[in-house]
Amino acid sequence: MGKILNIQPVTRIEGHARITVHLDESGNVEDARMNLMSLRGFEKFIEGRPAEEVPRIVNRICGICPWMHHLASNKAVDGCFDVTPTPTGHKLRELLQVMAHINDKILHFFFLAAPDFVLGPDSDYSVRNVIGVVKAAPELATQVVKMRQLGQMMLDRFAGKAIHPIAAVTGGFSKPMREAERVELLKDTQTLLDFSLFALDFAKNNVFSKYLDVISELGVIKTGFLGTVDRADGSFRIYDGKQRLMKADGSYVDFEGVDYLDYLGEHVESWSYGKMPYAKSWNEGFSMDLSEPKGIYRANTLARINVCDQMATPKAQEALEEFRAAFGRPAQATLLYHYARLIELIYACERTIELLNWEGITDTDVRAKVTPQAGRGVGVLEAPRGTLIHDYTTDANGCIESANLIVGTTHNIGPMNMSVKQAATALIKDGVYDQGILNKVEMAVRAYDP
Amino acid sequence: MSDEKIRLNTDWLCDCGGCHVALVDLHEKILQVLDSVEIQHCPVLTDVKDYPPARIGILTGSVRTEHDRHAALVMREKCEIIIAFGTCAVYGGLHGAGLAHSREEIMEHVYRRSPTTKTDTIPDAEVSELAKMVTPIDEVIDVDLYLPGCPPHPHFIFESLASLIEGREPRVTQDSVCGRCKRQMIKGDAREIRNTLDEVPDERFCFLSQGHICLGSATLDRCLAPCPNHGIACTGCAGPTMQILTEPYLDIRTEVSDRMARLTAIDEDIIKTYMEKTAKTQYAYAMATKMIGNKPTFLIKKWIADVEGQINE
Repeated sequence: MGKILNIQPVTRIEGHARITVHLDESGNVEDARMNLMSLRGFEKFIEGRPAEEVPRIVNRICGICPWMHHLASNKAVDGCFDVTPTPTGHKLRELLQVMAHINDKILHFFFLAAPDFVLGPDSDYSVRNVIGVVKAAPELATQVVKMRQLGQMMLDRFAGKAIHPIAAVTGGFSKPMREAERVELLKDTQTLLDFSLFALDFAKNNVFSKYLDVISELGVIKTGFLGTVDRADGSFRIYDGKQRLMKADGSYVDFEGVDYLDYLGEHVESWSYGKMPYAKSWNEGFSMDLSEPKGIYRANTLARINVCDQMATPKAQEALEEFRAAFGRPAQATLLYHYARLIELIYACERTIELLNWEGITDTDVRAKVTPQAGRGVGVLEAPRGTLIHDYTTDANGCIESANLIVGTTHNIGPMNMSVKQAATALIKDGVYDQGILNKVEMAVRAYDP
Repeated sequence: MSDEKIRLNTDWLCDCGGCHVALVDLHEKILQVLDSVEIQHCPVLTDVKDYPPARIGILTGSVRTEHDRHAALVMREKCEIIIAFGTCAVYGGLHGAGLAHSREEIMEHVYRRSPTTKTDTIPDAEVSELAKMVTPIDEVIDVDLYLPGCPPHPHFIFESLASLIEGREPRVTQDSVCGRCKRQMIKGDAREIRNTLDEVPDERFCFLSQGHICLGSATLDRCLAPCPNHGIACTGCAGPTMQILTEPYLDIRTEVSDRMARLTAIDEDIIKTYMEKTAKTQYAYAMATKMIGNKPTFLIKKWIADVEGQINE
């Protein structure tokens, strides 16, 4: 009889998960899985509710990326009611989307992932956390806390509520931006941009160079990628654009989000509440076999960095060029998610500044006239953890008749299982493992920021 | 304050993680808190997998699975003081709307009927079985302190932690959201119920005065009123006021319709009926708690059945 190792809960991630490693009689890995432990069923209980209220309900799907659910949902409701937001309403929504990305990346890289790198993956588990970082590198930690605060306060001040936002509405945005607000946001974003450039330098010197061997081995798998790019020139986009589905060999197809049903399917396993999306359009089915995966693609930072032709802002483009020179396109090493995350942080700051400098941003025409009606709308954007899809149909009263959601994290559930299996198989031999090894298995998951 | 640090465990049950982010969002104050508090089990921040004994235990989320129930029991055993933290822990929260749908209905929808799902499998191995109902944590364990909010504003989080650290009563009021709302209540002339798609309400005046349903007057302030101060009516995410919870014949719809009728030219019964028809929205956050569920006036299953009956007719 073999043995089952449970790592529960998986820690320093943003959801509820357990890793189960099945060892055979000689103590080698037979199988390893990540079990998602939670189901709430939002698709079901938004049925019958007035569609325009849904964006304020579905943000409760995720307390880490509530802005993305709020905005994707608003886009879907716009589609149901066949309304196009005013240009300023559209840009204000994008502004909040990129501002929320700034915060998310600071939270993930420094609060959740950094302890593995600043203190080392084998360091004592009782101090391997952000509090340990505060003790080991107090100046860095204080700076990080301040930056996260600045980002969250910017959202709070302008949009009222940073967690579980309410400010976007069908047809646009609930309030215009005043000039004084614009000036202040601009000043704060400049501070965040400086910090983001520092963060990438810090990580290049202290993390990526130091842990190059870990990066090139831990949890490495070969998959395709899904992200959003500019409709016209294939540049990196996170609020609006077309979807790009790339194969592991770098070839790709582009499609409009509204057609996602033609490209994506979802697979269910009996051992996890999380569904596993896969590339249905590749016509090869679904398999998480490490040597011959089928239908498997990844989403989130590394995927977006891989699928785009270039970054649309200068500093982020510089960083991308350096990244591609070192790791190629598409880059496959799982821990490069962290590197890609910091390139996105720079982009998000630069894009925030661009939007704040857009001439119409303080225009008061923030909201188009809306009439509830029967229809269908598909809202797609990039949540920090991957492409987020909200698909609603409404009845003649404008209430939700049915809904289908593909949440960012779920695209990576199949790949995370594969990375866990790869890491566990490589690290656990003949029944020998310790706390540091089990943490490294968790690190393979942590990179995906689930 | 003694030199010995106060030991703290936190855990999340069925929730979105936002309450734990709100804890992190104490920002610079969290550095201050860390001077006197030692964070032990806290899955989002630390790698402590077991539950060491602690003075304070923070539980977010509601009880949805056997796993959640077990975690709540262990936390109770190991912590001297348990705080039910956030609306899900206190009242069941939004997914308490599971009350209106059975778990079988939800599983069938998610794993079989979704247009993207291509398999015919319902997860039932290595996962913790879903409970029939979503329950607030005090139906499973004794709770010492309640801090609702979705999430609670860091202002209240800091005050609750500071008061526990300093061994004093927390300085919080039982005011409703109206207490912090800058809008003015006036007698308006609205003759029918309006919604956000009909018009942008005047930011100077109370939503109710303008014929818009707003739950602010029936909702406890644990948020500092960001929604009504940014153009959006309150949806009651911190749960009902103490008055509504404690008086058997008061509930959210009686309270709001009574006040709104006095502030407009709309008949109270029309408002009450409207709120019954939209009960899933009006009771979204607190329907799973017995404090609301056991009220003689709360007939949500009937209200939902009435609406669905009309649609099917």
